Amino acid sequence: MPIVQFAPFQSLVQPAFWHALTDLKIDVLRLSEDALPVTATYTTGRAVKDRETGNDIALGCNLTISGDAFSNTHLPQHAVAATGSFKNFNTIEDFKNADKTALFNSVADEIWKSITVDKSTALLNRFLVLTFADLKKYKYFYWFAFPAFASKPAWEIDGEWAPAEDILGADSLAAIRPQLRVSPRPFFLVRASGGQATTAPVEDYVSFFAGVPPAERAIGFIDPSAVPNNPGWPLRNLLAYLRALYPEDAAQGLRVLCWRDSETPQTGAPGGWKSRFGVVKQGAGESIAPTEKPSAVGWEKNIQGKLGARVADLAPMMDPTRLADQAV
Amino acid sequence: MHTIQQQYWAVREYLSPVLKESKFKEHGRITPEEFVAAGDFLAYKFPVWSWEKGDGSKARDYLPADKQYLLTRGVPCLRRASTLAYTDADEDAERLLSFADPKDGAAGGAEEWVETHAGRSAGGDAGGHVGTIDDIPDVDDADGEVAGVLGHLSLGGGGVPADIPDMDEIPDMEEDLEDEDEATAAAPKASNVITADEVEVAKGNLLQVRTYDVMITYDKYYQTPRIWLVGYDENGTPLTPSQIFQDVSADHAFKTVTIEPFPHSASLQAASVHPCKHASVMKKVIERMNQGIEEQQAARRGATGKDGKQKKWLFRRASGNGKDDKAVPAGEEEVEGMRVDLYLVVFLKFIASIVPTIEVDSTASF
Repeated sequence: MPIVQFAPFQSLVQPAFWHALTDLKIDVLRLSEDALPVTATYTTGRAVKDRETGNDIALGCNLTISGDAFSNTHLPQHAVAATGSFKNFNTIEDFKNADKTALFNSVADEIWKSITVDKSTALLNRFLVLTFADLKKYKYFYWFAFPAFASKPAWEIDGEWAPAEDILGADSLAAIRPQLRVSPRPFFLVRASGGQATTAPVEDYVSFFAGVPPAERAIGFIDPSAVPNNPGWPLRNLLAYLRALYPEDAAQGLRVLCWRDSETPQTGAPGGWKSRFGVVKQGAGESIAPTEKPSAVGWEKNIQGKLGARVADLAPMMDPTRLADQAV
Repeated sequence: MHTIQQQYWAVREYLSPVLKESKFKEHGRITPEEFVAAGDFLAYKFPVWSWEKGDGSKARDYLPADKQYLLTRGVPCLRRASTLAYTDADEDAERLLSFADPKDGAAGGAEEWVETHAGRSAGGDAGGHVGTIDDIPDVDDADGEVAGVLGHLSLGGGGVPADIPDMDEIPDMEEDLEDEDEATAAAPKASNVITADEVEVAKGNLLQVRTYDVMITYDKYYQTPRIWLVGYDENGTPLTPSQIFQDVSADHAFKTVTIEPFPHSASLQAASVHPCKHASVMKKVIERMNQGIEEQQAARRGATGKDGKQKKWLFRRASGNGKDDKAVPAGEEEVEGMRVDLYLVVFLKFIASIVPTIEVDSTASF
């Protein structure tokens, strides 16, 4: 069986975030390097049809961090929130020399603790962002990490990812959508039979699935990926959560619904529902006990595909002298 | 100097009166109320658009507090306007460039023109312009200018590779683990490039999927909507002005599209299409559309029931405005013409001709 490959999160930092950081750094943080809570959002993955070739092009698996990340006032439509730990360094040397492994591990520990102790899914998408703001040059160095537990042996998919419409039926999907709209949550359980479907928080796993045959169960998540055969990053920690808490069910195979429909498709529109479905199982081989913390991965790569910091150079958009040059 | 100019614009906008009378058919201008009505319609029909509050201190009092401007995020832009193949561009661009169609190019006079643009199309990104222009005797003015300014800007802005910080690799990172992680999908960027290669090797027209956040504000001085763009490349890095200009058709870059402070934020700078010609263009488009709609409406009155299969929303009956209709003088009661709700839909089609590769006109997909 092929190994499930997850599409990693890509950070998308809106310029407004850097503006907010600049203000925060000057007015509030000053020389403080304390970690702060931040909120980012993601939505279902989107693909766009290339009008020249007719192919579907998947847009990035984005985690968007915007100007109100520090104040966390409102969520955009169809978006779910992910909370993170933000740390700004005062000098580029501090930024380079920071003990990144320790910071990463502390976030991974937080996630693992939320799984095993609190049995909560609230922190599954927790991320880490380190920054250094060169305010005079309008340059911002940043490095995101999206810790995800690596399963050994890896998760495998039974067959391949199929359109959810073929497995659950369009009626079930149509029934799920309004429920997600009313109570948007990144992870949810689905009970589907005969065109009916109900959803519930993952925390209600035991009571919600009591007496439900495995064939009518599904575990769903808002999937930020739009690549047909790669579910998005959030699924990794969801699977780790289920394996840690319900090892017997996980061993039998988990029916996973990758939710990718923010809109009900037009009837008769080509493509129809975009959500994907697959049965995921852990591969054969020696594995650690479900209660033991697996190792975690998830530093974001930079634009050369190496593990390294990224930089946002906003001088062209912020530097008054540069702006004057191109003004007419 | 630029700052003074911006201050001047701010004062001018502050002093100019709020348009009260509806004049959209006569002048192409709209009142704030009509902007809100058209915005409501746009957001209702195309939920990718939503109203935003913006920065509270920058709120305009002639607009409702929670409906200051319209926003849509992550609008895809697959290709650069500079590499646009002219075959299936949207209607407006196609009309402008229709004599560049290779089929017509057989006639001697038109050939040079076709050559120029064929060369440009193959040239790939902006850097290619300069060389191409040297080869062709009959240089189009706009091209030369754009390439020149682009070159100038890129000295300062630097290409993407130059932006990379000289960052030491971190030795204590668990790189082996990260690299070996078999469950991480390959970088999406790589897969996109491969798709593009397969499809378009012949054209040399690589797919670099950029996304744009697009905002529509109401410009009180020009009494028209105004469009703002914030772009990101495929890695989520904000685009520089010169990169944004690659997505603007050559006729408009550096002329009507400039970088200016976004009016509903204290600090954000965004690319904007200057609205000084919006009203006259919109007037022309509206006149043409209005004529068509009136004819169709008249026809529909003749044979009711035929309209079932046409675009419903375009001819939506004014059920909510029944009273208003009766108040209209008898002469106009016959045909209602285009409703102001559609203004922004039409406006987006017009904007699509300025930024042909940014798919702001989501209306086509419905």
